[in-house]
Amino acid sequence: MSAKTTAKKPKTKRPWRLTRRGFLIGAGVLGGLALGANAALTRGRQFVADAFNSGEGNFGGPPNTPSLWLEVSQDNRVILFVPKVEFGQGIHTALAQIAAEELQPDWKNFQVRVADTARGFGDSAMSTAGSTSVSASFKPLREAAANMRVMLEQEAARQLGVSAGDLRVAGGRISVAGQPDKSLTFGEVVAAKQGEWQLPTEVPRLKASRDWQYIGEAVPRIDFRAKLTGQAVYGYDARVEGMLYGAVARPPRYGATLKGVDNLEAVQAMPGVEKVVVDPTQNFAGVAARTRSQARRAAEALQVQWEGGITWSQEDLEARVQVPRSGRGGTVYMQNGDPLQGLRQGKRVEAEYRIPLAAHAHLEPQAALVDVKPDRVEAQVSTQVVQTTRDGIVKATGYAPEHVVIQPTYIGGAFGRKGGQDVAFEAAMLSKAAGKPVHLGWTRLEEMRYGYLRPPSHNLLRGAVDESGKITAIEHHIAGGDVFLGLGTFPEAVGSVFGFDPGALSGAVPLYEFENAKGLAWRVKLPVPTGWWRSLGTIPNTFALECFMDELAHAAGQDPVEFRLRHLGSDQRAQRAKAALQRAAELSGWGQTAEGTGKGVAIGKYGKTVVALVAEVSAENNLIKVERVTAVVDCGLVVNPNGAEAQAQGSIVMGVSSALKEKITLKDGMVEADNFGLYPLLTLSESPRIRVEFINSANLAEPYGMGEPVIGPVAPVVANAVFALTQKRLRELPLRLA
Amino acid sequence: MNLEVNGKVLAVDSPADEMLLWVLRDELGLTGTKFGCGAGICGSCTVHLDGVATRSCVTPVSAAVGKKLTTIEGLGSGDRLHPVQQAFIEQQVPQCAWCMSGQVMTAAAFIAQSPNPSESDVEAALSANYCRCGCYTRIRTAVVRAAAIQKEQV
Repeated sequence: MSAKTTAKKPKTKRPWRLTRRGFLIGAGVLGGLALGANAALTRGRQFVADAFNSGEGNFGGPPNTPSLWLEVSQDNRVILFVPKVEFGQGIHTALAQIAAEELQPDWKNFQVRVADTARGFGDSAMSTAGSTSVSASFKPLREAAANMRVMLEQEAARQLGVSAGDLRVAGGRISVAGQPDKSLTFGEVVAAKQGEWQLPTEVPRLKASRDWQYIGEAVPRIDFRAKLTGQAVYGYDARVEGMLYGAVARPPRYGATLKGVDNLEAVQAMPGVEKVVVDPTQNFAGVAARTRSQARRAAEALQVQWEGGITWSQEDLEARVQVPRSGRGGTVYMQNGDPLQGLRQGKRVEAEYRIPLAAHAHLEPQAALVDVKPDRVEAQVSTQVVQTTRDGIVKATGYAPEHVVIQPTYIGGAFGRKGGQDVAFEAAMLSKAAGKPVHLGWTRLEEMRYGYLRPPSHNLLRGAVDESGKITAIEHHIAGGDVFLGLGTFPEAVGSVFGFDPGALSGAVPLYEFENAKGLAWRVKLPVPTGWWRSLGTIPNTFALECFMDELAHAAGQDPVEFRLRHLGSDQRAQRAKAALQRAAELSGWGQTAEGTGKGVAIGKYGKTVVALVAEVSAENNLIKVERVTAVVDCGLVVNPNGAEAQAQGSIVMGVSSALKEKITLKDGMVEADNFGLYPLLTLSESPRIRVEFINSANLAEPYGMGEPVIGPVAPVVANAVFALTQKRLRELPLRLA
Repeated sequence: MNLEVNGKVLAVDSPADEMLLWVLRDELGLTGTKFGCGAGICGSCTVHLDGVATRSCVTPVSAAVGKKLTTIEGLGSGDRLHPVQQAFIEQQVPQCAWCMSGQVMTAAAFIAQSPNPSESDVEAALSANYCRCGCYTRIRTAVVRAAAIQKEQV
């Protein structure tokens, strides 16, 4: 029988003892002390989790396993295990800083690791998305670290025969005040411990921000030496003795179903081929072979009968992604006042904006190493989301989820695309059939065509401004492809609860206060797979809103900065946006324009982070060049200014690339682009000069997200600058003058 | 077939028309050289053949025979990093770093030929290396800095 019924639970499952205040105590991997905590779900995610749990799914995890924990080993190493994967955000460094602040380990012997699923993590916590890694971990991590320090102090006091109050902790060493020779390292304390560890009876006091040594400092990234010498292991780099390489046959059109393979035996006899797997029930045909090239040649040689599928062209797609002119049937996401009446009270403006399908174009294609063993599955995967990865492996193997152990690796770019894990499913199909570990790495062509894409959208805005330059009404209609709902991550029922894809609505509710406003959204179901792409709906929605604000400002004869300031709301977030906008105007020399350039402005938000951008563009032979971008960002407390700045710079570059160059088109039911030749990215020489400043105008004591907020306003700031330069309104991405 | 990789002569079984990238990564286990596009466009797979920056994803392994092949793993000498690696750490250039082996190898070959580059020289030399995370701002300054470090260390 299958392993499903006979296998025992993997032995690596770490028993955790739940204590008061929700902490968990365990034994460290290296025979020391481990103390864990659970990062709180954000409100939005909790909502989704609840929706899930009310259905058949079980979000699992907390409070019985920690989502993050610290371990002190007997050899004085401190390891922070986090449920967050590093794909360039710098979060491993930021999280290390947060923990080190309270724990005071020896920084040189302090490591950050992503734990595998056998040793912790409710699935819900094990995803790295939504710009929440630092913000969601900030409090539980500091508390866990403080508790651990006090536990070590109390034990050290016992061992040294002094009172805990006489001890000082620094650099992983606990010493008696005034007697520096009387001291113990963390490792020595742990090694000499007898009996069970107990949580301190009193809740430890956290350090005041004025005493911080790590938080707020531009601490260098902890992973760069390994990454710049080729030592760091990403999913594509994962290797294990005796592994085979996989390759998969691909359909010529979306929606095609696999009926069979005509030449199975011939392919089975090709050089290096160990196993050909054809499974029409899973719509799957693939090959495991001794080398990657042998696998790819064999998969290409497979004569697969594909049936059906779509024959869409680009025109078909564009015709479908359309706000209904009737305005009927949409879901209301915003309503106040009387917009119809308001529209009659001023000069009326109407405009439509479109964004196309786009690829994530991370440079490490999907990759997984999966080893289906008799009793369990072990997988190393470049994954942002453990749950989808595990679901795929379960689907391929029939093993119970608890028999699937996933070790997330470093990731070479994600941007939302490493959240759906077809590659783990495929590698598991092959490994199960071949009885050996299989590494599967996608090609660039597979990456362009067989993943999911940023959904296309169409936005229609109507508004009016009165003679005083005040907006009297706004109507925003959005039609777009799925972000969450098409991926199968959420049951279709969740879709009907929301009525519209919640991811596609990200950024739709403006920071501005309008007396009369209405927002309506239509979910466009497409036969092309679409999903998460950095900042989700914030890209199309901010593009439409911020370009339209510019159009209204010009209709009212107002300065675009002044016009925005005037309409920003009174709540704290809008006030912070106001401060950011004022500072960006000041820094960028708003109002002065160099010969041959145009300046534009746009603001944005994502979560609680607010952003103001000013861009300066030029155009030669109708080719738009973004010369300079000034960014002012308020993400609350900045844990690492260097990492936060990198996120802003990177978001601006990716945003400019998307705004000026990127468009996926369909032909004969399939994406046309097969590689970067047909989907070029922005290069160094096309990249703007960037200046980033952080402000914290409300003196917030907690950090907010930085991975996504800055990208939203990039396309509109460029379009608005192009208008300033050329008087041409570009309302479709990519922005092109001719 | 023998290859001289990072100063060591290694026997290779792959067929002569196998791309060098896959021989390095899959046969020799040198996974520091990265795959990005397989078409010589993105630059992630850049290595040095006799000091010349070469895209290993479109170079048959046979083309490396008889040449000195250097990968990111062998760019520095022992524990001492190459000036480009030093500058990239100093300027905190990478984000995900998947493209960085290619950026570093391209930059190292470039400053060996152009020891006093301006920022616009750097732009020209590194504009055929994609970075999706958008580290371009820092690459621009770090390569100029690497040239300065190279000079100090001669």
